[in-house]
Amino acid sequence: MENNQTEPKLEQNQHKKPMSLFHKAILTGFVGGVFWSGLASLAYYFNFMEVSHASFILRSFFNGTWTQGLLGEVISMVIVGVLSIGTALVYYLFFKKRGGMLPGILFGSVLWIAFMYFLNPMFEAVPLFSDLKMDTVITSICLYVLYGTFIGYSISYEYENIQLASSNKGKSSQNAG
Amino acid sequence: MENSQKVKVSEKIKQNQDYMKEHIGIGVSFDLGYRKLTILKKEIDIYYLTGLCDTSVIVEIMKMLVDINDVESNQRKLPEIIENRLVHQQVTRVKGMDEVVDQLLSGLIVIFVDGLDEAFVVDVRKYPGRGPKEPDTEKVVRGSRDGYTENIIENTALTRRRIRDERLRVEIMKVGERSKTDVCLMYLKDVADDGLVDLIKNEIENIEIDGVSMAEKTVEEFLVKQGYNPYPQVRYTERPDVASAHLFEGHVVLMVDTSPSMIITPTTFFHHVQHAEEYRQSPAVGTFVRWARFLGIFASLFLLPLWLTFVMDPSLLPKGLEFIGPNEEGNIPVVLQIILADIGIEFMRMAAIHTPTPLSTAMGLIAAVLIGEIAIQVGLFMPEVILYVALSAIGSFATPSYELSVANKMSKVFLVIVVAIFGAKGLVAGLTVWLLLLASMKSLNTPYLWPFIPFDLKGMIQILFRVSVPLTKRRLSVTHPKNNYRQPPS
Repeated sequence: MENNQTEPKLEQNQHKKPMSLFHKAILTGFVGGVFWSGLASLAYYFNFMEVSHASFILRSFFNGTWTQGLLGEVISMVIVGVLSIGTALVYYLFFKKRGGMLPGILFGSVLWIAFMYFLNPMFEAVPLFSDLKMDTVITSICLYVLYGTFIGYSISYEYENIQLASSNKGKSSQNAG
Repeated sequence: MENSQKVKVSEKIKQNQDYMKEHIGIGVSFDLGYRKLTILKKEIDIYYLTGLCDTSVIVEIMKMLVDINDVESNQRKLPEIIENRLVHQQVTRVKGMDEVVDQLLSGLIVIFVDGLDEAFVVDVRKYPGRGPKEPDTEKVVRGSRDGYTENIIENTALTRRRIRDERLRVEIMKVGERSKTDVCLMYLKDVADDGLVDLIKNEIENIEIDGVSMAEKTVEEFLVKQGYNPYPQVRYTERPDVASAHLFEGHVVLMVDTSPSMIITPTTFFHHVQHAEEYRQSPAVGTFVRWARFLGIFASLFLLPLWLTFVMDPSLLPKGLEFIGPNEEGNIPVVLQIILADIGIEFMRMAAIHTPTPLSTAMGLIAAVLIGEIAIQVGLFMPEVILYVALSAIGSFATPSYELSVANKMSKVFLVIVVAIFGAKGLVAGLTVWLLLLASMKSLNTPYLWPFIPFDLKGMIQILFRVSVPLTKRRLSVTHPKNNYRQPPS
């Protein structure tokens, strides 16, 4: 009881504290994965791309009819969301200190090269890179870049904010002292 | 100018008269004048600017002054007696001549007393203007119908009526070497971010210009320096309830005298797609209205480029949607039709602004029936072009922020041209570039696409859904509020 009474401020501070950067990265990763893969499904539906994320995740490994159509896309969207937590954590671990949007754009481009070019042979349902239509290439690179920006900018902006807040706090406590 | 700044009010009233004649042209400008009174055998001059002061108050004050002759006799205490007899709550003593002139030209009266090296300034201002009226651009079905006016004092009053908080700060500054326009900065002291307040104050103090006759727009250009970027970086409102809602959120509101539009800073893209009406309805209805509005904005941006993509490459259309696209090719390329029709709508919009009301009905008839119908019959446009151009135009009218709707229109034309050149690739690449450019924008250090990029779940939920007020306990983090809670945390 006494402890609680002597440190009411601490408790308040805990209330005020926004979500930690780690949790935020996980959340951003999941939402980013689901949102941008949803857009990719839309682009696939309108034939802007001849492959979708479901071609990578489901159709390369399973043969059922459920991998086609809306059901396949939705299942694969959720899976992308979960996998995307991993990429967000990679960004969180290595690049969170890089401010601005450029690192995110580069991050997305690197992911694109990795999946569409180097890992391409792993996925049966995806045509070879050289066989892909130009529309597909452009659309997928754009989506990857936007996805990378989404993840990267969100995490680095939040990191910046937390740094700023803690440095402000330091200043005010110095003044008080 | 340097010299005049040092001139003090003289003890000799003749010198003051000469100064006023020379500097502000008494006797030349007809709306400036002075009245001579003799009180206890000393001369007193009352200077005024006819248009801006309230005659009945001046008459009342002069009556009191003239009465001094009947009841007082102590000549040595004349200045004190006069100050006492100035029956008004706002009386100040002024020493410098330049301040005297400033005040006089703002509509206050200045009283010189022979033998006194100070002047009395009495605030008897009464500015010409209209009463608070519902703003045309932000109407609601229910709710308060008062709106800001051109008078900055009335505007502060309208805001104070809604925020009686002792922590509301209303700081006034003057901008413009010649216009000396009042600019007022409003914020909640314990909520608004100090950095933001200082930044805005600095920017305003650094404005050096002769006059800001376009009021808030000119100030905004100095504040955000947006160059040729068409997207609005501050939000305007003429509604006191909207302005105070933003003050509670920790925004800083700037009001400029002579304009009813308040500047709300900082703002993001998503501030421009919300409307007071949504908060006047139940959360479900508000959300529905908001989604309909989003669809409209979406259509105003993407409908035409998307349709053009499908027209150029029908193989993109999925099963079941093959009916989209023209049955027969028109006589003019589709891109040109779209752009021509769009320019036509732009003509109409501009004409509707300038045309007096009696003529606008006729104009609407000509524009809608004649041009639309006959353009199709002649073979200039395909019916589908008219449909989609009209839809996208209506969508842009449904955008709550006029500035945003025009910026979106420009983006749409850009996308249409890119699609015309590159097809589907162009659409995707164009959209990506558009999004990246928007995301890279910063308005007063606030990312423009917040809470989408950078992502913030709480903020995004409040954008996507009109959340009920009792549930929004926290202020949004975009303003970096010093006090996070709007309601006590449970």
